[in-house]
Amino acid sequence: MQAVVRLEPELQGKPVAILAGAPPLTKVFAVNREARRLGVETGMTKVQAEAFTGIVWRWRSPSQEATAYAALLDCAWTISPRVEEGVRREDQDFSDTAVLDIAGCEKLFGSPEKIAQDLKRVASEVGFETNVAVAGSPLAAVCAAQGFAGVTVIPSGEEGLRIGSLSLEALRIPFEFIETLKRWGIRTCAEFAALPEIAIVERLGQEGLDWWRLARGAEVHPLIAKEFPSHFEEYMDLDSPLELLEPLLFVLNRLLEQLCARLRMHILAIGEIKVILTLERNDSRSKKPVFHSRTLRLPVPARDSKLLLKLLQLDLEKHPPSLPVTAVRMLTTPVKARSQQLGLFLPLSPDPERLEITLARIQNTVGENRVGAPVLLDTHSPNSFQQKRFVLTEMKEKRPITKKQTTAAMRIFRPPIAATVEFQEGKPAFLGCDGARRRILAFAGPWKTKGEWWSETAWARDEWDVEVRTLRPTIQPEGSRGSEEETALYRVYKDLCAKRWFVEGIYD
Amino acid sequence: MELHASSAFSFLEGASRPEDLVSRAKEAEMPAIALVDRDGVYGSPRFHMAAKSVGIRAHVGAEISVEGFGNRAGLPPWMPNSHCSRPVRLALLVESRTGYQNLCRLMTRYKLREKEKGTGTATVEEIAEHAEGLVCLTGGEEGVLAASLSNSGYDEARKNIEKLTALFGKRNVYVEVQRHCDPIEERRNQAAVRLSETLGLPLLATNGVRYARPAERELLDIFTCIRNHTKLETAGRLLERNDERHLRSAQEISQLFSDLPQAIHNTGELSARLKYTLAELGYEFPRYPVPEGETMDSFLRKRTEEGFQNRYAAKRDDALFERAKRQVERELALIEKLHLAGYFLIVWDIIRFCREQKILVQGRGSAANSAVCYSLGITAVDPVGMELLFERFLSEERGEWPDIDLDLPSGEQREKAIQYVYQRYGQLGAAMTANVITYRDRFAAREVGKALGFDQETLDQLSSVVNSGEWRGPSDTFENHFQQVGFDLNHPRVRKYWELCERIQDLPRHLGQHSGGMVVCQGQLDSVVPLEPATMPGRVVVQWDKDDCADMGIVKVDLLGLGMMAVLEDCLELIPKHYGEPIDLAQLPPDDPPVYETLRRADTVGMFQVESRAQMASLPRNAPVKFYDLVVQVAIIRPGPIVGKMMHPYMRRRQGKESVAYAHPSLEPVLKRTLGVPLFQEQLLRMAMIAANFTGGEAEDLRRAMGFKRSEERMHKIEAKLRSGMSQNGFDPETQNEIITQITSFARYGFPESHAASFALISYASAYLKFHYLAPFTAALLNNQPMGFYSPAVLVHDAQLHGLRVKPINALQSEWNCTIERTARDGKDIPCLRIGLRYVHGMRQYAADRIVSERQKHPFEGIEDLIRRVPELPKKDLVTLSEIGALNSLGKEMHRRTALWQVERAARPARPLLDTIPEQMELSPLQQMTDEERLVADFHGSGMSTGPHPMTYCRAALSKLQVKRACDLSRLPDGQYTRVAGCVIARQRPGTAKGFVFLSLEDETGISNVIVNPDLYEKYRVVINREKFLRVDGVLQNQDHTISVKASHVQPISITAAETRSHDFH
Repeated sequence: MQAVVRLEPELQGKPVAILAGAPPLTKVFAVNREARRLGVETGMTKVQAEAFTGIVWRWRSPSQEATAYAALLDCAWTISPRVEEGVRREDQDFSDTAVLDIAGCEKLFGSPEKIAQDLKRVASEVGFETNVAVAGSPLAAVCAAQGFAGVTVIPSGEEGLRIGSLSLEALRIPFEFIETLKRWGIRTCAEFAALPEIAIVERLGQEGLDWWRLARGAEVHPLIAKEFPSHFEEYMDLDSPLELLEPLLFVLNRLLEQLCARLRMHILAIGEIKVILTLERNDSRSKKPVFHSRTLRLPVPARDSKLLLKLLQLDLEKHPPSLPVTAVRMLTTPVKARSQQLGLFLPLSPDPERLEITLARIQNTVGENRVGAPVLLDTHSPNSFQQKRFVLTEMKEKRPITKKQTTAAMRIFRPPIAATVEFQEGKPAFLGCDGARRRILAFAGPWKTKGEWWSETAWARDEWDVEVRTLRPTIQPEGSRGSEEETALYRVYKDLCAKRWFVEGIYD
Repeated sequence: MELHASSAFSFLEGASRPEDLVSRAKEAEMPAIALVDRDGVYGSPRFHMAAKSVGIRAHVGAEISVEGFGNRAGLPPWMPNSHCSRPVRLALLVESRTGYQNLCRLMTRYKLREKEKGTGTATVEEIAEHAEGLVCLTGGEEGVLAASLSNSGYDEARKNIEKLTALFGKRNVYVEVQRHCDPIEERRNQAAVRLSETLGLPLLATNGVRYARPAERELLDIFTCIRNHTKLETAGRLLERNDERHLRSAQEISQLFSDLPQAIHNTGELSARLKYTLAELGYEFPRYPVPEGETMDSFLRKRTEEGFQNRYAAKRDDALFERAKRQVERELALIEKLHLAGYFLIVWDIIRFCREQKILVQGRGSAANSAVCYSLGITAVDPVGMELLFERFLSEERGEWPDIDLDLPSGEQREKAIQYVYQRYGQLGAAMTANVITYRDRFAAREVGKALGFDQETLDQLSSVVNSGEWRGPSDTFENHFQQVGFDLNHPRVRKYWELCERIQDLPRHLGQHSGGMVVCQGQLDSVVPLEPATMPGRVVVQWDKDDCADMGIVKVDLLGLGMMAVLEDCLELIPKHYGEPIDLAQLPPDDPPVYETLRRADTVGMFQVESRAQMASLPRNAPVKFYDLVVQVAIIRPGPIVGKMMHPYMRRRQGKESVAYAHPSLEPVLKRTLGVPLFQEQLLRMAMIAANFTGGEAEDLRRAMGFKRSEERMHKIEAKLRSGMSQNGFDPETQNEIITQITSFARYGFPESHAASFALISYASAYLKFHYLAPFTAALLNNQPMGFYSPAVLVHDAQLHGLRVKPINALQSEWNCTIERTARDGKDIPCLRIGLRYVHGMRQYAADRIVSERQKHPFEGIEDLIRRVPELPKKDLVTLSEIGALNSLGKEMHRRTALWQVERAARPARPLLDTIPEQMELSPLQQMTDEERLVADFHGSGMSTGPHPMTYCRAALSKLQVKRACDLSRLPDGQYTRVAGCVIARQRPGTAKGFVFLSLEDETGISNVIVNPDLYEKYRVVINREKFLRVDGVLQNQDHTISVKASHVQPISITAAETRSHDFH
């Protein structure tokens, strides 16, 4: 919810519901206070929820959530360099908590109360409504932030007392322990903490003892600091595709403002900015996304959103996207990051991290799911494959050369060549292709396939193997006589859904 | 014609019913068609009957899984997701009766060898042994040819085909070619043609049919997903490649195989060779072994006479004796004429076995019309005394086997009787009939949804709104249900889901076992129909269900398990033990006034046949005072009398609100007992006999014509005959119409009087025992669950309301079963009930038995002692026992949480070093459970509570809301607006109630009844179907002492989180 409202501040105070899941399994994923008041609940189906009027609907976007969480971590980094990702619940894709170590920050920023207030303010600048808690141990602080609204500062040594009033669920204790404790009539952390220690070890073992200590606020857990990010990113899915530049600029402005605010926190500036626009697909059957990407290299580092917006506007006017825009991703490389020096002895082969970066870059250029090794899909549909993630593996296994079966090889035309086929007495007689009409000398078929009847991407085709005079002598293997009179075997097919003929390939 | 077609009886490998294949074949003008299902002839009887009715020859065959020919062709190894391989199948067609017997025996042989259902393969040796009379096809993609070509190439294929010719003979192997527009298949066909030429074998063109019409390919894909536990999205090439495996017309086939005319020609030739059809099944009922010098007829006569003397001489009624004697003579003569003595003797033999083993047994159904059955002890109702009609049971005209059903106590005792039949006729001589499980609403929605990739939560939601009850109102369509769970019907995927759910209805899913139908055969049953192992060990099942068996003329004996019989049997043991009084069900005091008074009050929870909501509503109106009233009561709350609009006239006449009148004076003797309203099938038969001069057999024929499988033509014929008969007898047209309406609306659902009388005997016995011996009766009821209409919690509460003290489960007192203890009350030693350990959720009997045996040695000293001495008790059982308070008596000041506290420590194995450290705290630091917590724990751990009813705790608050108690309602005037609340213990939507829903709400004082009209139900469907406690506002109806609330508003109320259960829509 916060990931959405942050980028659309005008939604604050309005009833908003987030939808998730591919149709027809769309359900309400999250609702804000206002929507809940109207009666919308998470888990409702889209049709049920649509019965409520006056609700603003948005689609869930994991990318947007990821960037929102990155922004939350940014807020934490403004106070302390030691920031840890909060514990993620099993059902969550991203954590919603950031933990920071403020030991020693008092001299820089003031009392823990002030630091907490500052954090809350900084977070609200990037559009978050947050609960902040300060406590002697990370987990106690997380529990308090989960359990109490607003700013909570727990004086050292009082963790147990304050956490005590929270329910056991706030500790995020595993389900099996909760079950046992509830059977015992234990509902709050204080009740749990009041049980004798030895009795707990005897009954719940070492793990139970850890949770017991946590309930007492006595848990000690080293903070594992996260590395500062090398680039900043914002992302937004658009509810309806934008065709005109002007409304698109509004979106770009929002993202830019967010990015600049985040960079400002770290006293960084933008050296290079890249805008990747996801475009609406023309052909609904194709699943490949289309992107329009623009990169601006700034001669002088900047973080003035107005200036940047102007530059982007000029660039996009010159190179407008060809199709309506459905999502915007904005990536910036902070200037400081570029000033880092590489090591003296560079490795000769690409190390995995660099390979990842390279792959990510290639992916940004060619689009998601378009980088990797092709793998055949298990379907009767011809030419179906998908990109599997490219992984450097040792070439241990070499496929043994088994006895070869002499089957004909076929060269596929990509894309297939549009054609016409004329039938006489139910048999294919002429093939029209490349502006010429050729008599079909012999044929075999039809070979029929039909699949995915349950979805919108249902397909059906009839294939024929036909012998005609050569279509394209140029693609014949070298050494053969490229004569117009020579015959060749082709595979032609009719796409029964589109009712169109194509030449798919030629048999060697 | 098509000689290789599979139906949906290939269980998930075919998508059309045999009947659909036949009707499509008829459309395509085929003269013959062969059904070749996977490893069975499951669909053959239906196929045979359907084909017979449209004049097509139905060839019999099956695809047999074999080993020794390799596995089915798999996918090329370079493709992803290769699937597990299965053995190849041989398509076998039956040429002669020997062939059919061989096929059945072959399948029985390899099926019975396997422990698991649906598995098994035949060995080459077994095939060689059973090859005579069978013709083998080389098959399509599942066959030998495809497998060997793809796995090992042409030479291996040739060797395998030669192997087949060696097995079946050169003349009996056909090289099969199929064309489904697949290039790989075409390559196979080329090899097949070459093979047929080189080996000199005939080619045969088939289409390897898996469904009747192309559109059914979608269903087959769904089945494939169900079979492989996958979804359409991920099933990949497991799914069909295209939709070409349908039944093609002759023209299409000849076009498709125009280059191989011989292959088409051979189909005709082969079809002509296949002489065998199921018409010559060759079934024979076993002969009963009789002593030397006796025939079966003379032996039966002697046994009947013995019984006759016992039964009728004791009645000391000469007129009855004479009438009965004449009747028995008449019946014996007919039995002799129809050669049925063997059948009667076999049933008598089972009865004799049960008597010897002290197993309670009673015949039910139309057999109770027979004085011979009564004399032989098969039934307990005197048909002569009750003037029942023998023709309903047996008639010369019908030429069918009579049907005798026996009720036995469910459970072990019935199993004993079944095992006796197996043992008596041999494993291959007797078997249970099958029960074909078909796709019905909820099941269909779940499996189709899974295949389409819908998530579990959505499917659960959908299941909760799909009613499985008998009433299907206009709103009970999938369309409606889909809307209720918030599906967008305009979405193509949802639409497809809906459409598939509709289409999959009634298609077979798998084979189950019929609850009690047994077939026996003279000689070998496995040569008549293949036998299979059942899931239950020691049971064997035939491949046909009971209707198919009846269609094929196979006689069956139903050995049905009746929970109430088991209860009665248990009572016979408990009453003498705890009351010191002998009890004999045959000698119960007839017409005991207090028992009838209880019945008239509809205080009938737990009583056989009269405990349902509808029965309770009609009991005060019918106000039974003697046994025959109970017979009527059992029969009247049935779809027949209700649909035929007989119930209300009868009730009005019974209450004297309407005068008794007859459609025609001549019908008075027939209808007098039921106040001029026909209620029983026998009465209709007699009406036809009197009004239209039908013979008994003709009248029974009339009932059948009007029955479930109605044929318009047959009905018209019979109606004409009825009318002409009535005209002859001078009935005016109006009376004729009235009688015909009565007969037609009634014949379909009516209940035979004999059956009602058999049931009424059990009803009376249960009512008598409940009234006079509540403790043993309740114990027996609880020990034989699940049965009847109410949950154990309701039975316990009802018994408590009747003054029985029920004690909770206690590890020191309880046995596995509920038992009777003595307790002192008001200075008297009275029996009370102790709940058994069988009610501890999840507990196994061996653990319970061990507790009992250990504590008999010496009592447990504490929880640790219990855990040490009964290691069979897992921790979860200990936790449950602690939660429900069953361990409280194992220590001083022990409460449920103390027990939990101790169990948690004691059940956690400590290392040897720490083992000896004693518990540091004597008592637990935990708080006692609150009332609510105790209630939740009781229901969670044992499904019931012996403490106060949940409603007791909030009665004060409810009274402030003007909520009335169930016991208050009888004092309120009819028509008053009132408010009731309670735990929902039953939801009913009878098929005859036009969509009205009946709810039973239980509170601490009893049960209140709520009627919900269809509109209101639609409005509150989710609340009514899901909530455990309801508050209902509405108008009180108090008519003829039947009290109910007609709901105008329904809302959920929060009483307790306890998991109470309700009996819904059965």
